[in-house]
Parts: sequence; structure tokens; C-alpha cells
Amino acid sequence: MAFFIEVLISGLMAGVLYSLVALGFVLIFKASGVFNFAQGAMVLFAALTFVRLIDILSETFAPILLSLAITIVVMIVLAIVIERLVLRPLVNQPGISLFMATLGIAYFLDGFGQSIWGSDVYALDIGIPKDSMFILESVFEGGILVSSEDLVATLIAGVLVATLAIFFQRTRVGRALRAVADDHQAAQSVGIPLNYIWVVVWSVAGLVALVAGAVWGSKLGVQFSLSLIALKALPVLILGGFESVVGAIVGGLIIGVGEKLSEIYLGPIIGGGIENWFAYVLALFFLLFRPQGLFGEKHIDRV
Amino acid sequence: MSQAADSAVSGETFLTLLLEHARVRPDNVSIREKDLGIWQSWTWKEVANEVRWLACGLASRGFKRGANLAIIGDNRPRLYWSFAAAQSIGLVPVPLYQDSVTEEMFFVLDNAEIEIAIVEDQEQVDKLLELLPRCPRLKLIIYDDPRGMRHYSQPELLPYSELRDIGREYDEAHSEFYPSAVAEGKSDDVSVILYTSGTTSKPKGVCMTHQALIDAARGDVQHDGFNEKDEILSYLPMAWVGDHLFSYGQALVAGFTVNCPESSDTVMTDLREIGPTYYFAPPSVFENLLTQVMIRMEDANRLKRWIFSACMDIAKRCGAEIMDGKSVGLFDRAMYALGNMLVYGPLRNNLGMSRIRVAYTGGAAIGPDLYRFYRSLGINLKQLYGQTETSAYVCKHANGESRLDTVGRPLPGVEIKIADKGEIWVKSPGMLKEYYKRPDATAESISPDGYFMTGDAGFIDNDGHLKIIDRAKDVGKLNDGTMFAPQFLENKLKFFPFIKEAVCFGDGRDVACAFLNIEMQAVANWAERKGLPYAGYVDLAGKPEVYALLQECVDQVNADLAQEASLAGSQVRRFLILHKELDADDDELTRTRKVRRGFVEEKYAPLVTALFDGAQHCEIETQVKFEDGRSGTISADIAIRDVKLVTSESVRQAT
Amino acid sequence: MAQTRALGEPILSMDEISLSFGGVKALTDISLHVREHEILAIIGPNGAGKSSLLNVINGVYHPNRGSVTYKGETRAQMRPHVAASQGIARTFQNIALFKGMSVLDNIMTGRTLKMHAGFFWQCLYYGKALNEEIEHRHKVEEIIDFLQIESIRKTLVGRLPYGLQKRVELGRALAAEPDLLLLDEPMAGMNIEEKEDMSRFVLDVNDEFGTTIVLIEHDMGVVMDLSDRVIVLDYGRKIGDGTPDEVRNNKEVIDAYLGVSS
Repeated sequence: MAFFIEVLISGLMAGVLYSLVALGFVLIFKASGVFNFAQGAMVLFAALTFVRLIDILSETFAPILLSLAITIVVMIVLAIVIERLVLRPLVNQPGISLFMATLGIAYFLDGFGQSIWGSDVYALDIGIPKDSMFILESVFEGGILVSSEDLVATLIAGVLVATLAIFFQRTRVGRALRAVADDHQAAQSVGIPLNYIWVVVWSVAGLVALVAGAVWGSKLGVQFSLSLIALKALPVLILGGFESVVGAIVGGLIIGVGEKLSEIYLGPIIGGGIENWFAYVLALFFLLFRPQGLFGEKHIDRV
Repeated sequence: MSQAADSAVSGETFLTLLLEHARVRPDNVSIREKDLGIWQSWTWKEVANEVRWLACGLASRGFKRGANLAIIGDNRPRLYWSFAAAQSIGLVPVPLYQDSVTEEMFFVLDNAEIEIAIVEDQEQVDKLLELLPRCPRLKLIIYDDPRGMRHYSQPELLPYSELRDIGREYDEAHSEFYPSAVAEGKSDDVSVILYTSGTTSKPKGVCMTHQALIDAARGDVQHDGFNEKDEILSYLPMAWVGDHLFSYGQALVAGFTVNCPESSDTVMTDLREIGPTYYFAPPSVFENLLTQVMIRMEDANRLKRWIFSACMDIAKRCGAEIMDGKSVGLFDRAMYALGNMLVYGPLRNNLGMSRIRVAYTGGAAIGPDLYRFYRSLGINLKQLYGQTETSAYVCKHANGESRLDTVGRPLPGVEIKIADKGEIWVKSPGMLKEYYKRPDATAESISPDGYFMTGDAGFIDNDGHLKIIDRAKDVGKLNDGTMFAPQFLENKLKFFPFIKEAVCFGDGRDVACAFLNIEMQAVANWAERKGLPYAGYVDLAGKPEVYALLQECVDQVNADLAQEASLAGSQVRRFLILHKELDADDDELTRTRKVRRGFVEEKYAPLVTALFDGAQHCEIETQVKFEDGRSGTISADIAIRDVKLVTSESVRQAT
Repeated sequence: MAQTRALGEPILSMDEISLSFGGVKALTDISLHVREHEILAIIGPNGAGKSSLLNVINGVYHPNRGSVTYKGETRAQMRPHVAASQGIARTFQNIALFKGMSVLDNIMTGRTLKMHAGFFWQCLYYGKALNEEIEHRHKVEEIIDFLQIESIRKTLVGRLPYGLQKRVELGRALAAEPDLLLLDEPMAGMNIEEKEDMSRFVLDVNDEFGTTIVLIEHDMGVVMDLSDRVIVLDYGRKIGDGTPDEVRNNKEVIDAYLGVSS
């Protein structure tokens, strides 16, 4: 039992990280209807910038905080540039064009990031404790092994989600964001500037990417494979629905837990490596039976 | 009780009461109104000032004591203050129903010789302006809400705020005026004229004195222990005696807070936000609320529905008993507590009833399911009985004594006499002084020995509770002299879900007999469950199984009747099930779905004859109008069933 | 009602506007002016270019030729958020409300351009931003009161019946306190009672706030009752311009439109 719970917990922790990446997708999809293939590349780019800046600024009084601040600025500038050079010229073009454009952004960022910052694997140490601990020792013999790194990551993700929720529900900009997500034309008519909102959304997505990159990076090291976790976010989105923040979180958790449990319990029976394809098979089933995802909205296109 | 007595200040007119509250609890909230989405409140001190300025404003316009002032609009603080302001300088307020059409309004304006009107908004102003040429006495129209009034230039119009400012200046110049005007008021002055909504004749203005209303209100306050901490939501028409008694009379006696809803559409939301402790609603409102709950439950998922119905079953079994402090088993108590957590509590909260100490209904019979539903949720729903002429102060259920079929015991100071044909005669502290300018009507309604003749028929049951059975004019007698109250029997029959309509006959005959209509939906469902095949309404109505089903209902009604000495003789002895639904299109019902007994008796004369001559069946052919306007005939051979008499002994043995 | 309003100088003029979509001419050489405080109706058969005209006014479409003069400033084209910031508000033919938001939030978005607190305080929802929010909320409540929709203020717009959605959309436009209000078929799909209500609101808006109103409407009864002036479009050309009576008696108009449909 204790072992099962251990697996469950580690699955949940992995799930939280998937959710973080998926969240970036959802934000942009909701506000601009674009499936941002570059989200993974943004995670890598943010993490690379962050980790290299820490290195460069290591002599200053607060390398981590300074680098964080600069990276945030970089991500915002990136959002502005993307809006200017990619989104604005392509406004009112079919979704597929925008999707192709984000594909371009993805490859550009991958290459650009590595050419500036190099393509080695960098260890990222932002002070997250790495030791593990045992909890619930009174309930289970020997307790349950939990990595405190995972715990901190979960905590960070939780704070981020809560902040975003408040931002969306409570502030005027949040209201404007929801308005744009709901109806572009109407939003423009009441004077909400679409361009500005897009910059905000991409900036927020950039920040989410930074958080995701920092957390993953400190766990696995900052390396090119970070940009591939975007591929894991895809099944999460299919599960949760492209337009639901809650869906992204729940979808992430389900996939995280599902992967770990199936690897441990089904692995011995049907062979290992389930972890690698479990998410996609699950997503496939969802596409067949509930294409709008768990929390997605059913779209009825009006004629 | 003692708390109530403490908070009830003494005074001879509503004005002395108001000033006393302003002195004793100046900073308590007297009245609230939701405006622009926010609850605005006024303390007793502020209200006393507002009333004073308004009164001075009216006085500055030179109106004389005894002039009548109309008040028209939804429940608004400024309109409630208008009552007090008018009374303080000896004007008599006359509230009018805000939804009455121009002609109805004209009757009252003309009859009451209205000189001033204080109205809510443009809608009412428009009606009055239309009537202005025909109401030469009307000199001043004051309106509260200035919206849409910018282009009105009639000299009779004045915005409320302006009159108030005029009054404020007047008061500063003549500060001695107001106190002396108030001191001039006497407790036997007419404080208000309430027009009865005459269904059969022209409305009559019921003149009430300060004394009568205050005594009635004080009796109520003591009966239910209202105090300054109570809250009510005032959403029923201000022209109705109930609202005047609750929101004005009782509020001024007990000093509780009156809340005015934002608009008539928002009453449900406002109710939730305020969470009143004391609530009145006619049965129809309770029914609407229940329907809304049920509709929402239909939409809920299966688990929620299951929890809801399981909890409601527990509540039905023991909820009302627990509330009344009766003995209930430990298991049921525990289950009820669980249900309270899961369902009743949230539901009460949703209905805006989580703080309710006392809820009343009245004015019409309330259905048993409805009544049980609210009581089982732990809402202390009780019934009251009264009419405009008695300040609605006649009978009320005491806490723990609420019963479906009675309206409670006579309140302190009330005397009840049952006159001929069961008519209820009442002597109440809250009696009217007279009908305005109608000495003839006054003489007709008040007996020489000072009783108000209600026109309702009823009797005092074995527990001392008053039971209302019918309008007295509809009550007849069987040949052996037993009272025969057809509507009472019909309502009892109609409470069964299988019976849609019932028509009872018996006046001037040996026994009581009934026509019944099946409730198609309910009976069809029942037939389906039983696997009983049928070929439409006529066929279903004639099935022996259906007869047996309805016979059980009739038996039960008879068993109920057997327990009441005065009605035991009027048990339904024979019945038949009509082959067609009684229909307003065929003139068998009125548009408000009341049975036109005389017409039905004539139309189905052969059936009536057969009911009373002992025949076992009867053939009949009936004209009907179809929905497309064509007419045709339906013929049927209708069976007639005998029902055995239930004696009170046999009931006791059975239980 | 109409006689109590003094019509002012032209607030908006269009000069020889032409608009085409890939060879299909939507508008041809349209010139017109809208005077301050006036209620101007645009009528015409389906596809006559009525909505295109509104879209040119508030900058959704950019005309191929011609110019738009608004408040004395002549432009070749408008941009939607510029139009909004200059006091032009509008409603849409197919209701463009934010369906996932409450009535209150929807109308609040109409205040977007009236809000000034900085982005930073915005995010924190504190200080000046909070005060501003309260101030705007008050204004929005006045509109809710004006349109008598108190009972639905917290309801999600997507759950409302059509007629009420139209009313909320009008509310959102009013929240911007516009000088020029463009209404694209405000009464389409309404029953008689709802139309009467809406007509009254339109008149009240014009009367109480002095707002200039340009509306597209199909119901000729409504148009004749409401408007000071009527412009008739047919196949993207203007074929009539005058008081309701003048238009009713214009032969070309009768042939093209009135005679056929009514």
C-alpha cells in the first residue's frame, strides 16, 4: 500500500509539471485561437536564458533574482516581437497559417537559444532542496518516500495557478483577456486593443514557460530535451480540453499518475517502456470518445 | 415574549411610535432598499427626519387635515415614509394597487376624493395624468423616480426630492409646526383607508384607526415574539392589508427592519441576500419556489437526485416533528441531522430561508405536499386567517401547533361566533371603523352586536382551532340539516393527485354525491405501471380499476369527514367519473378554473338525477367544442359507485 | 418626443465611400452625414450593404475609396479601437457578447476605455484601481437600472434568452458613454413586446443622454416611429435619404424596397 501511494505521489508530481507546460498552451489558445507549437521551445529558451544568466551574473549580490528578473524581461520582449512580426501581419488568416508560424518560431527559438547560450547540458540550482523525506510514518510502516524537490515544484505550480486565476477573474486586464477569448470582434468594438492583449497573453505564457523550465531544469538539467516535453503536453491538452485551465491541470495529473502506475503495475506483464507511450494511447481513446476533452466546450458552429 | 414586550414601545399613533423608536434606538436600521446593486439603509433617526421633512413639505402646500392622499407604487422606503408623513399632519393615506389599470384607479381616486398622490415612477404618473381631467380634486402628484420625467411640465407634478427640500426649509422656518401637528393626532383617527379588491362588487374603502392597527400589530408581535432584531422582506403590494400590517404596523410596533427589494423580478435574489427572519407569502409563491427547486433537481445528476429524494423522505418522516419538539427516535434524529447538512441547510439557504423563525401563509388553502415540504425542511410555516376589515388579525397558529387543515386558534382579544350556515362572525381589536362613505355596506357587514360578518363558513374543531370550509353563500344544507360545504369537499378530493376536478351536489338533498374528473397524466402513469391497457380518456375514465382507485380516495375523504362532528353527515355517498374533462371552453369552468356548479348541474342533469335515484349507470351524450372550433358529441355509459358511510368509531378502530 | 430635441451639426460625414470584397461591390459612392442628437435609420433589402456601412464607420472594414469625417477629423479609414476611443459604440447583428461572462462583467468591459489606473495596480487590484473599479461599477449599475435588468446581473450571458442578450449588448455599448451609437438590427428576432421595450430604450437613450444613433432595422413600423431620418440602400447604392414620410413616398424606394416587402 505504501508503495502504491509512493508511486501515486510521484505520478502526481510529474503530472503537475506536465500541467505547467499545458497551461501555457491553453492560455494562448484561449486568447488568440492559436495552437502555439512553440511553447516547448519557449520553455527551453527561458530555462537556457535563466541558467546562463545565473552563470554570467554569479559575481553579483543576487545572481538568481537578477537573472530571474532579466529573463522575465526577455520573455516579455519576446512576446512583443512575436506579436509584431508574426501575429499582427497574420491577423484574420486561417488557423493553420498561424500554427505553421508558431512551428517556425519553435525552430527559430531552439536554434537561436542554443547558438547564443550553447547546447551543453547545464545544471540549474536555484536552491530547491534535493533530499527526500519520509512522511506518514505513523500510518505506514517505513513511511512514504517523497522527494522534497517534487514537493517544492508542486507548491510553485500551485501558487502560479492561483495567481493566474486571480489575474483572470479579478483584474480588468483579466476581464479583457476573457473578453477577447470569447469574441474578438466584440472586444474590439468596446475598445479593447487586440494587439496589447496578445502581448499580455504571450508574456504570461512566457512566464509560465519560465517557471516550467526552471522547475524541470533543476530536476533534469537544462538541455535540448526540455523542448520535447511540449510533446507530452499535447495528450494532456487532448485529455483536458484546449480551452480549460482546470482541464490542463487535471489532464496533467491524470497522465502523470497513469504513466507511473501503468509502468510499475502493467510493465512486468506487457513489457516495460509503457511510460513512453501511455499518454498518447490515452489521448487517442479520448479523441475517439470525447474529442472536446474532459473540460472542453462543445463547439456548435453557427451557419 | 418578554423581549418583544420590551421592544414594543407604547404610543397612541404610528407617529408617536416612530418618534419613540428614533429616541430609543436612533441608530438601528429601520429600512433598507437595494438601489444600483447596493443595499442602502436608513436608521430610525434618519427615517424620523425624512418623515418630518416630507410632512412639512405637504403642509407647506396647504393641505388640510382629513384630506386623502393616494400612495401608488412598488414597496419603496419613500412610499412607506409617505404613510407616516401623511398621518403626522392628519392626511389619510390610501394605498392603491400599483398594477391596477386606469379605470380601476379612477374608481378609487374618485371614491376616496384623493387630493394628493405620491407615486413611484413615470408609469404611475402617466396613469394619473390621463385621469387628471376626470379627477378635479387631485391637486398634486409627487413622484419618487425622476427617470423619463424630464419633459413633463404639468403644474401638478413635483419630484419627491423637491418637496422634501421645501419641507426641510419650511421646518427650519416653522420648527414648532411638526411637533404640534403630531400632538394633534389621536389614536381613534382614521390612519389609513385600504380598498378591498371587490371580486363581485365595486371595491370598498375600509377605514382603519391607528388604535385598531396598532392593537392588531401588537397582538401579532406578542404572539410570535417579534423584536427589533427581526428582518422582513416587503414585496407584497402595499395596498394589501397584509403588507400594511407587517411592513408598517408590526415594524413600527416591534421596531424591526423592513427590506425593500430592488425590483419585482429580483425578489428571489434579494430574499437570499437578506435572509429574513420573518416571512409571509401566499400559497402560490410557496408553490412557485418549490417548482423552481424541483426543476433544478431534474437537471441535477443522478447521484444528487438520489441524495435529494432520500433526504426528503427522511424529512417527511420526521422533520416537522423535530421542529415542533415532538418525540422522535434517535436514529431518525441522526439521519435528519445528516440530511440537514447535505440537503435541507443548503436548500434553505438557496431559498433565502435559512434564518426564518416564523413564516406565514394565508389567503387561500395550501396544498398538503407543499405545506409538508417546507415544514419538513425545518421552516416554521404556519397559517393565519383574517381579512382587511379585521386588520388580518383573527386566527393564527401558535408555534408547535401548526396544522394543515386549520388556521389556528383565535388570537388574544378576538371573539368568534359561528352563525347560521356556518358563517364566521368576528370581533377583533383590529376591527374597521367603517366603510368609507358607505354606511349601507357598513351596516350590512357589522352585526348589531358588533361582530364583523366575514362571509366565510367554518367551524371550531375539537382542539379549538378554526377551520375554514367555504364561502358562506356557497354552503348549503342536506335535508337532515347537516351543513353541506361543496367547495370544502371538492378541495379535499382534489388534493389527491389522481383527481383533477370534483363537483359535489347535496344542497337540499338527502346525501352528498360527486362528479369526479381523473387527472389524466397521473392516472395514465398509474395504469401503465399496473399494465392496464386503455384506449384514451373516455375508456380510461370508465375502467373499473380506475373506479376502485378513486373509491379509495373518496373513502379517505369520508374518513376525514367522519372525525368532524359538524361535517360527518355530509360524506360523499355516491360518485361517478365523468367521461370528459371539465373545460373552460365548454363554460364548465371559469377562466380561473373554478367550477361553475350551477351550469354543470344543468348540463349533466341526467347524471345528477341518476346519482340521486340509485341507478347503477347512466348513458349520456354531451356536446363538446374542439380546439379548432368545431363541435361534436361524446356519448358514454357512465357507471355510478356507492360509497359506504364511515362512522367515527370505525375510524378509531382502524387506527 | 422628437420635437423636443434640437438636432445639431453633423457629427459624422461619409464622402464617396466605396467598398468591395474581391471584385464584389458592397458599397458604391456612398455619401451621407449624421447630425448630432439625431436618430438615423438605414434600411434596405438583404445584401444592400447596411452592415458594411456600419462596419466602415467603426473601422472593421476599410473602404477602398472615400473618406470618413468624424468630429471634424477626416480619415481615409477608422480603426475599431480608435473609433471606440473617439466615442463610437456599437451592437452587432448576431449579438457579439462575451458568452462565458456575467451580464455585469459584459457591461463592465464596455467601460474599458474609461479606465485609467495603471497596469501594475490593475494586477494588484489595489489602490487607485480599486477605487476606479467601484466608480465604474456604479456607472454600470446605473445602466443596469436604466435597462431594467437587475434580476440578471449575475447571470452568464450565454444562458439568457435572445431578447435579453440584445438588451445586454445595448448596455455594454452604453457603458462607454458613446457620442455615436451604432445599432445593427437591435430588434431582429424579437416579439412585439420586446420590440416595444427596445424602442423605448432607444428613444430614452437618445432623449436622456443626447446620444446620436444610427440603426439598421427591418421592421418598417419601428423605423418610421423611431427615426428622424431614413437612408435607403439598395445594391450598395444610396437611393433615398429623408424624413420617414419623404422616404415612404419616394418612388425609387417604393420600387426597390417598400413595395416589395410590405
